Amino acid sequence: MGTIVPLEEFLADEGYPGAPLAEQQSPWRVEAAGAFRPEDASRFWFLDFHWPRGLTPLGELWNEDGYSWGTQTAAESLPLPRGRGVAVRTAGTHTYAAEIVVRSAAEVADRAGRMSQALPRFLRDFPQIWASRQREIEEDWEELRSVDLSRSSRKEFSHHLVRARRHHKRAFEIHFQLMYPLLANYIAFRGLCTELDIDPGLIGHFLQGYDTKILETDRELWRLTADARAAGLGSLFARTEPERLMEAIAAEGERAAGWRSRFEKFLDIYGWRTEGISDVALASWSEDPISPLGTIKTFLQGNSDHDFEAAHRSAVEEREAAVDAARSTLTLEEQRSFDAALKSSRTANYAWWNEEHDFYIDLRAMLPLRRAALAAAGHLGADRPDDTLFLFWPELTAVVAGERQLAELTGLIEDRRQYYAHWKERRASMPKVLGTVPDAVSDPILIEVFGLNKHFLEAVAAGRPPEGDVKLSGIPASEGACSGRARVLADADNLHRIEAGEVLVCESISPNWTPAFAKIAGCVCDAGGMLSHAAIVGREYGVPTVTAVGLATSTIRDGDEVHVDGTTGTVTVIRTAPDPAAAAQP
Amino acid sequence: MNEPVVWLDEVVPETANRVVGAKMGRLSELSSTGLRVPRGFSVTVDAYRRHCADTGLDALIEDRLGPLTDTHDRAQVQAASLEIQAAFEATEPGAELALAIVEAYDELAYRCLEVHVLVAVRSSATGEDGDQASFAGIFDTYLGVSGHDGLLRAVRGCWASLFTPRALSYRVDHGISHREMPMAVGVIELIPARASGVAFSIHPVSGKRDRVVIEGSWGWGEAIVQGRVSPDHVEVGKSDGRVLRYDVADKKVVSAFDYQAGAVVETDMPRRWGRERVLDDDQIRAITAGVTAVESKYGVPVDVEWVIDRGYRPGDAVFIVQARPETVHGTPANGVDAAIDPASATSGAGGWDPATYAARHAFGGLP
Repeated sequence: MGTIVPLEEFLADEGYPGAPLAEQQSPWRVEAAGAFRPEDASRFWFLDFHWPRGLTPLGELWNEDGYSWGTQTAAESLPLPRGRGVAVRTAGTHTYAAEIVVRSAAEVADRAGRMSQALPRFLRDFPQIWASRQREIEEDWEELRSVDLSRSSRKEFSHHLVRARRHHKRAFEIHFQLMYPLLANYIAFRGLCTELDIDPGLIGHFLQGYDTKILETDRELWRLTADARAAGLGSLFARTEPERLMEAIAAEGERAAGWRSRFEKFLDIYGWRTEGISDVALASWSEDPISPLGTIKTFLQGNSDHDFEAAHRSAVEEREAAVDAARSTLTLEEQRSFDAALKSSRTANYAWWNEEHDFYIDLRAMLPLRRAALAAAGHLGADRPDDTLFLFWPELTAVVAGERQLAELTGLIEDRRQYYAHWKERRASMPKVLGTVPDAVSDPILIEVFGLNKHFLEAVAAGRPPEGDVKLSGIPASEGACSGRARVLADADNLHRIEAGEVLVCESISPNWTPAFAKIAGCVCDAGGMLSHAAIVGREYGVPTVTAVGLATSTIRDGDEVHVDGTTGTVTVIRTAPDPAAAAQP
Repeated sequence: MNEPVVWLDEVVPETANRVVGAKMGRLSELSSTGLRVPRGFSVTVDAYRRHCADTGLDALIEDRLGPLTDTHDRAQVQAASLEIQAAFEATEPGAELALAIVEAYDELAYRCLEVHVLVAVRSSATGEDGDQASFAGIFDTYLGVSGHDGLLRAVRGCWASLFTPRALSYRVDHGISHREMPMAVGVIELIPARASGVAFSIHPVSGKRDRVVIEGSWGWGEAIVQGRVSPDHVEVGKSDGRVLRYDVADKKVVSAFDYQAGAVVETDMPRRWGRERVLDDDQIRAITAGVTAVESKYGVPVDVEWVIDRGYRPGDAVFIVQARPETVHGTPANGVDAAIDPASATSGAGGWDPATYAARHAFGGLP
């Protein structure tokens, strides 16, 4: 029996003021999301790193439609032998998750048998399956986008709102239905590699170097950077804060018109992404381009462009060299097994899909709902444009349908804003895990994606770094070593401020953080496994990365001089920042 | 057949174990299949028996071992062992047997065109390291013996090694009479070893049969066989002879010939040799060819001891100086577990069975 991290303080909390009963019409399949209950103390909960700000009332739809429904539907339909998906709890506004374990051995065996049948067919047909799901999402997305909400009747608006929610729910149904079998294949392939005694350092390279929409976006950002330089906008970018750049460029008039129109075209294609995964409170780049503009601003500070062609070539070369190196150690018989498994893993490439799907699902599936909610706020004459994000779904639909008045909820909205702010403040001190911490978890999704390995569990259970020199360790996610000034970020809000050569220290990174990888020297994350975004992007960009450190953000301070060794998975604080207050973020 | 001495290339396979013991018997078999083995002869089991009977050693042994019933009495075992071994070393063989042995030595010297030919004198017990695997390696071997007196002394030493405390205890505990476990002694030319080692036609740890595993170091193989040195480790694909890995070890000791002592001794490895790679691709090919030929001959996985002689030229065969069935994985009862054989990852024609591997490595495994 492992350490027990008490969750009493979260039991006492009553949640958002005036929250309706959560389970009314929630689309959960096995276990509904909700607040912590006393019996939850016997289970193992980990703080999900994807939502570092906490969720607004409307944002909590994610917990139901995405996290609960998506994972549970997918886990039951594959099925996963030992898990029924993820159970979700909220502590204040923050999301904790736990696996839902299948306990009966007979049932595990039965489910394993069914998975054996389903898995090979899925993997073989994956390209067609993904193409068709992608088309489905794309078509629905385009349809939703094309609706002119300003001309919609109340009834049409209500209908649209439901459709927007359904888009998100369906997108995450697809998400997990693809993710589980892809990950199963990846882990199976890696298992084979381990049995074949293949150097573990090579395995991470086998599936890299395939182009994704996310990389494509990064390339476009660099192209815009080059264009801005060519258009003589360099000094304008240099002297203007990201927040005022849009204005400043507009003020340039004719001189910047060409660039502006290119930037708008870029936003129209690549701008439908948020600075975090599936959070209705987050604006897209199209809605608020501060993030891409800030990124271009920092790109301009370096004098040379990131050579994507060269990076891609070297990723491919590294991949092929890794495959050759691995194959050379195998007998002919083993090569046949390896080749077949590699082929399957490339056809149904988890590492690739894990980036690619973010463009279609994670970073934009919530946007139609956000657009509808904001439009509703406008229609209804809300005090603030985002008031509707502080309504729960039944309240929002009732208000849109005219069954309730927004005005009668105004006080509640204000209370909820305070509640949200209060918990956002508390985020840094939230326990990384709650309940009964096991010595190890068996579900490889938790291990691979969330980095809940033995070391992590020990570190978070102890709650402090090892004695003596500040030397932390985690998963060696991307090779190489570097030293640099630490930039500790709680969320993506200040990501565009990160400077070239700094070491990014954070809870975890989301796919939208990738542009930063073109300029940082290293990356250190509290969470994340070999298949986390940080690990994958770190390898693509050749940035030394250590994940699953557990205590990085609570141990390393902004401005500390740190050494990151992504080959051994260690992070050392060489010199602490002289005065933490002075080094704090602006 | 009562010859006291039998040449290696004259042994009849059917009676080999009974006449010259397991070790020399297998060497004879290998020599008859065209493998490159050292020249030599055996002082037969029969010669040993007659020596014990004619010189009164039998009576002495029975006298000393008769009262010995409790092998936990270490002192008693030790005393009996010392006395019997001393008697063996002090008892010269009869003139006829001694003559047969030295004449055979002279013949070997002539065949090798080396007057004082150096030989390895090896115990070759009947059934040794076959069905009575626990006896493997416990009897004496003398490397680098030369001349009549030295040879006769080494032969007596081999015989005496049948009565070490460990061998004695084993037989008493298992109710085996010393008469049921007689010994032959092999006398074979000592190959001037540039490098030596062992080779397995199966991975000795994982049991994978698709590869040959070679371990080797400079000089003679004693330091490796005794586990006194970490040797270079090589794995070779059996189907295509490709070198899959070559791990160069830091080799700290070496079995080398000491010309003053007149024997192979263990000594510090000269610094600059220690981290040097021992085998080149051609030598690896030759060792692989040797061990796979032995495997085909016996039809079961085997391990061998090989020597690359100082005169070795690319394309040559290596010397096989010992061979035996691999005893851990080589028997059907301990055969390769199909479930852990990566070859099972492919179902049918080059397919990949992700479910099996997912079950094993993902989702917490199966009940």
